[in-house]
Amino acid sequence: MSAILPTPKEWPSILLARAGAKDPADLDAALKAGAFEAFRRAIRELGPEATIDEIEASGLRGRGGAGHLTAEKWRTAAETAARSRYVVANGYGADPSASTDRTLLETDPYAVIEGVAIAAFAIGAETGWISVRSTATEAIRRLESAIEAATERNFIGEDALGSGRRIELEVRPVQGAYMLGEETVLLKALDGKRGQPEQRPPHPSTRGFRNAPTVVQNVQTLAAVPWILRHGAKAFNAIGSREAPGTILVDVRGPERSGVAEVPLGTPLDRILALGGEPAKGRTLKAVVVGGPTGGILPASELKTPYTFDDLRAVGAHVGSGSVIAADDRACIVDLARLLTRFSADEACGKTIPCRIGVRRVAEIGERLSTGTSRDGDFELLADLSADIVGSALCDHERLATLPMLSGLRYFRDELDAHLERGECPAGVCRPIKLGGETQSRTRPSAATGAAATGASAGAQA
Amino acid sequence: MSLLSGLVPGLGIAKGMALTLRRFFAPKATVMYPEMPADVATKFRGRLQLLYDEYGALKCETCFQCAQACPIECIDMGGVDTRGRFHVHWGAPETYGERREESAMRRSGRTVPDQAYEHFASFDLTTLDEILDGYDHDPKRMLQMLEATQAAFGYLPVAAIKRISEKTGAWYATIYGTASYYGHLRFEPPSNTAQAGEVSARRASDETYLAALGASLGGRPGGDA
Ligand SMILES: Cc1cc2nc3c(=O)[nH]c(=O)nc-3n(C[C@H](O)[C@H](O)[C@H](O)COP(=O)(O)O)c2cc1C
Ligand code: SF4
Ligand code: FES
Repeated sequence: MSAILPTPKEWPSILLARAGAKDPADLDAALKAGAFEAFRRAIRELGPEATIDEIEASGLRGRGGAGHLTAEKWRTAAETAARSRYVVANGYGADPSASTDRTLLETDPYAVIEGVAIAAFAIGAETGWISVRSTATEAIRRLESAIEAATERNFIGEDALGSGRRIELEVRPVQGAYMLGEETVLLKALDGKRGQPEQRPPHPSTRGFRNAPTVVQNVQTLAAVPWILRHGAKAFNAIGSREAPGTILVDVRGPERSGVAEVPLGTPLDRILALGGEPAKGRTLKAVVVGGPTGGILPASELKTPYTFDDLRAVGAHVGSGSVIAADDRACIVDLARLLTRFSADEACGKTIPCRIGVRRVAEIGERLSTGTSRDGDFELLADLSADIVGSALCDHERLATLPMLSGLRYFRDELDAHLERGECPAGVCRPIKLGGETQSRTRPSAATGAAATGASAGAQA
Repeated sequence: MSLLSGLVPGLGIAKGMALTLRRFFAPKATVMYPEMPADVATKFRGRLQLLYDEYGALKCETCFQCAQACPIECIDMGGVDTRGRFHVHWGAPETYGERREESAMRRSGRTVPDQAYEHFASFDLTTLDEILDGYDHDPKRMLQMLEATQAAFGYLPVAAIKRISEKTGAWYATIYGTASYYGHLRFEPPSNTAQAGEVSARRASDETYLAALGASLGGRPGGDA
């Protein structure tokens, strides 16, 4: 389990409120902490429609990355005529460099279980799945024993909490690919199929698992639901930023510390980064990778950006997996962007041309830059190709996979230029191929800047 | 022309409809293959070939779209996939005809005679059949069946996939397409898989990604936790 980072006292604790509990799967302890009170309120007091209204009033948005309005999905699923409906809690945690969802599942399995039960009650589903990465064995064990305990005491199951409704929950471990985190891919995996995304719309909330309305929701989103019903939409709305209320889990990897922290949405990036400590002496912060493998690479000048879905998109990053990684002056932006894009290209499913070929070509531009084999117009090609990928992509993965290179181009143009024009890596990370003492770069400025520019070997500075 | 189309409202639609009409009355190009043989040049061999791009990289991503779409299941797939596993599948071209018959029989609901096994290493079917019985031969639980099969045999032998196809009624290509997507399933005994991993240096599993990220950030795996 990842460390849970301490946060300033004034930051509220919703998702990780039960951190430090002796046995998180102990039902009695959880009940004492208020578990299933919200579900009871939904059944006895509110009923399905008012439950959705309450969630709407709270302004809760999905924590899985894109920040869709949760109530909207629930309402769509509830109002779509169907014989069966499903709720899927997405706890896959696709990004290997973030363990936010796993930490939540290990810390408070009952919050997620109750959230799934409330969602199932609100939309009229009988089945709820909590999908977890197979390697998160501790999370699976705790979830399973929590579900068993809750079923035994009739909080969920045949007649859940005396509501007269059947709500069965099951843990579904999945593994094998990054793309399994994407909602339509996850539904395919749950159905035993090859994991390739589907065209949206129709969104899963109208046509999801086996064509039935399915609410796919990140586990953090669901874990916030019981809190909202217990404390009221107003109290939730007062936390975080106005367009994105509440808190979110962030996986901070800083120079001194790494771990998961619960952060109010709208907190400026620099305050989040501060949780990971200061750069070592003599080092300076150069960039922050925000959003995981498809994240944006932001310079120190953008650190005042509030951590919300919209603000991050505006500066060329995204919430994504909740990963925030600090890079100091030893890092090379080209190398970093190349690496992230290569991962995205390898994980792309191959279903569509922007996915199969587009992302690969973007990765190749990065590889050419870092090996000193760039061609004329590679930056124009990058911008052009990225725009085409964003315009024609089937799923969000391809769209987002353009972010590392594009944000690199946007904020670190000088460093990219050094690679492209002179075949140099200012940070001394990339090792451009040298042919006869000169780079192989076709755009080598033979006449423009003269031989002096190519003189300094990139490796010499390392 | 562009000036005109700006002036006359609906001209674009009329032009489009004219094309539709022309095509409507033109002779049909679709042939009811394979019931009606297509008219092809005598030297046509119908050979499928994968293309290489200008850097010499195979353009195919082994995504299995084509094999799953092919109605007569005649597409072979081989090479190193994006997860670094080497695999070649399906028999020699001579067996195309046989396979076509087999899939036609399966689609028409008749039982498929148990043939073609001699192509592959023989293996003990009872274990596999027990696994399949346990999942009620339900193709919707394919992933679990494949995982259980791998747990029993250490990998997914071709003959096992064939058997699963026969028992569940799911197409071979569909099963194979499912199996090849998930990184933890393998088609060769584990020792060969390690070798296959070396074939593709750019294997992007989570660990290699994290290691590379750490290296790129100056030796700290994104902060030394
Ligand atoms: C490539 C890719 C990977 C994703 N991985 C995850 C993931 O690991 N966990 C997750 O909750 N959502 C992930 N998502 C987002 C889901 O598609 C989906 O939007 C989300 O689960 C919906 O839940 P929410 O509304 O609560 O955010 C991913 C999306 C993409 C495109
Ligand atoms: S497997 Fe995919 S990439 Fe390869 S030839 Fe078939 S459709 Fe094209
Ligand atoms: S990753 Fe293949 S369509 Fe998005």
